[in-house]
Amino acid sequence: MTEETSFQQEYEIKGGDFSHGGEVSCEIKNLLKELGLNAQTVRRAAIASYEAEMNVIMYARECRVDLSVTPRKIQIVFEDKGPGIKNVKLAMNEGYSTATREMRELGFGAGMGLPNIKKNTDKFKITSKVGRGTRLEMTIMTNGHKP
Amino acid sequence: MKEEPRHPVQINVKKCKGCVHCLAACPTKAIRVRDGKARIINELCIDCGECIRHCPQDAIDSHTTSFSDLNIFKYKVAIPATVLYGQFDNATLPNEILFALRRVGFDSVYELSTICELNNSAIDKYLHSHPKPRPFIASTCPVVVRLIQRRYPTLCNLIVPIEPPREIAAKILRANLPRVLKVSPQDIGIIHITPCPAKMVSINYPVSMEKSYLDGAISIRDIYKPIVQALRQSQEDTIMSHLFPETIFSGIGLGTALSGGETRGLVNHRTVAVSGIQDTIRVLNQVELGLLKDVDLLECTVCPDGCVGGPLAVENRFLAKSRILRLVNLMGERTVVDSSDMSVLYHKDFLSFRHPLKPVPTPPLDTNPVKAIRKAKRRNKIFKQLPGKNCGACGAPDCRTLADDIIRGLGVLGDCPFTEKEKK
Repeated sequence: MTEETSFQQEYEIKGGDFSHGGEVSCEIKNLLKELGLNAQTVRRAAIASYEAEMNVIMYARECRVDLSVTPRKIQIVFEDKGPGIKNVKLAMNEGYSTATREMRELGFGAGMGLPNIKKNTDKFKITSKVGRGTRLEMTIMTNGHKP
Repeated sequence: MKEEPRHPVQINVKKCKGCVHCLAACPTKAIRVRDGKARIINELCIDCGECIRHCPQDAIDSHTTSFSDLNIFKYKVAIPATVLYGQFDNATLPNEILFALRRVGFDSVYELSTICELNNSAIDKYLHSHPKPRPFIASTCPVVVRLIQRRYPTLCNLIVPIEPPREIAAKILRANLPRVLKVSPQDIGIIHITPCPAKMVSINYPVSMEKSYLDGAISIRDIYKPIVQALRQSQEDTIMSHLFPETIFSGIGLGTALSGGETRGLVNHRTVAVSGIQDTIRVLNQVELGLLKDVDLLECTVCPDGCVGGPLAVENRFLAKSRILRLVNLMGERTVVDSSDMSVLYHKDFLSFRHPLKPVPTPPLDTNPVKAIRKAKRRNKIFKQLPGKNCGACGAPDCRTLADDIIRGLGVLGDCPFTEKEKK
C-alpha cells in the first residue's frame, strides 16, 4: 500500500461564539480517542486545538478546521478570515497579547495561546496576512516522540 | 483480572415497555432497546442512576443490599449517609432517626458527619502538601471516579487519593469494634445507608483497595418505611434521644450531603463545585483541555444538588436540601474533629488509597490504527445516510450511536425505520 490510510473531517468555528468555545476541540479529542491513539498524544492535540479555537473565537470572523489523521500523525489546519497578526514573531512570545480588557476579564489573553500550541505540537507553521486572516498548521506525531 | 462489575442498576424486564426515555437519559449511551426491552451494556454503565430517574414505568431496579441479607451477621452496624437526615419532616431530629434505626434492627448506629469533616480536613492537608498538579478532583462520588477512569483516563492522577467518609468510617469501626464489643470480627456486618446505587459497585468492586470495609449498602428507598414506622412507635425513644443526645454532629460534615459541601470546608483553597451529570461531563472536558489550572479542588457530584439528589432518596431534593441546610446552620461552623487525631491518621496513611487509581480505557474502534481509521470513515458515511432525528426507534439512543453500533457489528442500517422507508 503506497497511499497511507487517512481520516479527514472538517469543522467550522464562528468568531465571537464564546458559548460554544471548546466544542470543536472536544469533538477532535473524542474522535482521536476512538481511533485508539495514546492518551498523551490525544491530550496534546486537544490542548493545541483548544488554544487555536479560542484564538478564532476571540479575534477572527470565521474559521475552517481541517483534521487529517493517519496512523503516523495528526494534522490540524485552522484557516481563518480575520484581522491577521501584524508581527507573528512577537505573538509567539509568552505573555505577548493583543487581547482587550473585556477578553482579559473573561480570563483570556494571557499571551500563552500560540506558545502553548508550539509546546504541544511537533511541527507548527503559522502564516498571516493583516486584514485577511491567519493559517495555523499543526502536526502531532502519534508515536509520542518529537520527529 | 477482576470480572466486569455486576451492576446494581438492572432493567426489570416485566415492567419495561421498551420506550426510549432511558436511552436519551444515559450519559454514557449504555442502553439499547432490543426486542422491545431496554438492555444495559455492562462495560459502558457507570451506575449513575439517571435511567432510574427518567423511567416512567419504574422498570429499573437497583440491586442494593436488602435487610434480610444482614441476617448472616450477629452484630449489625449501620452508617447512614447524612442525606438521610433530610428525608423526614422538619420536626424529626437526626438523633431520633439514629434511634429509629436501632429499633429497625441495627445493634449500633454510627453517625457519619464527623467522619465527613475528618475527610474534609485530610483533603485540606493533602492540597497544602501537594502544590501540583491542578486541579485536584474530589473522590467522594463513585460515579465521577468511574467516569474519569473510563472517559478521562489522563485525569486519574488528579483524583485526591483519600478514601471517602463511608470507607474511612467502616475502616475505623472494623479495626475497633471487635475489641470494644467483644464480638469476633466476622460476626460484625457494617452497612452503609445510601441514596446512591453506585455505592454498591464501589463496595463490591472497589477501585483503590483490595476489599471494601463495608459489607453492603441499603437504599434509603428500602429502609424509609421501617424508619417511619419506628419513629411513630416510639415516643419514649424520642424523649430519650432529646434528653441524652449521644452524638455530636458536625455542621461542616452535614453540609457534604449537598453540592458545594466539600468545598465549603476548604476555605483556604480555590474551589469549584459542580453537580449534575451533564455539567460534570462539561467541566471534565474542560479539565482535559488543560483548563481550570487555577483551581485547587474541583468537587463533582453527578446527582443534581449533590448526594441529596440521589436516585434512591425518597424525599424531593429541594425539601431535603432545605432541611439539611437548616441543620447545617444549627450546628454552625464549629469544628468537632481534633486536628491532631486527623494528623495521626493522615501520617499513618490510614486515610489514603491503598493503590493508585487505574484508568479503564474504552476500547477504540479497532486496535489496529489503519483499521480504526477505515472504520471511522465508514461510520461517517453511514451517519450521513441516517435521518438525524435521534428518535431512538432503532433501539440506539441517537443516529451517531447507531452508526457506531453498525461498524462495531452491533446493529445494521435496516434498524433505522426511516432508511427502510426510503429503500421501498
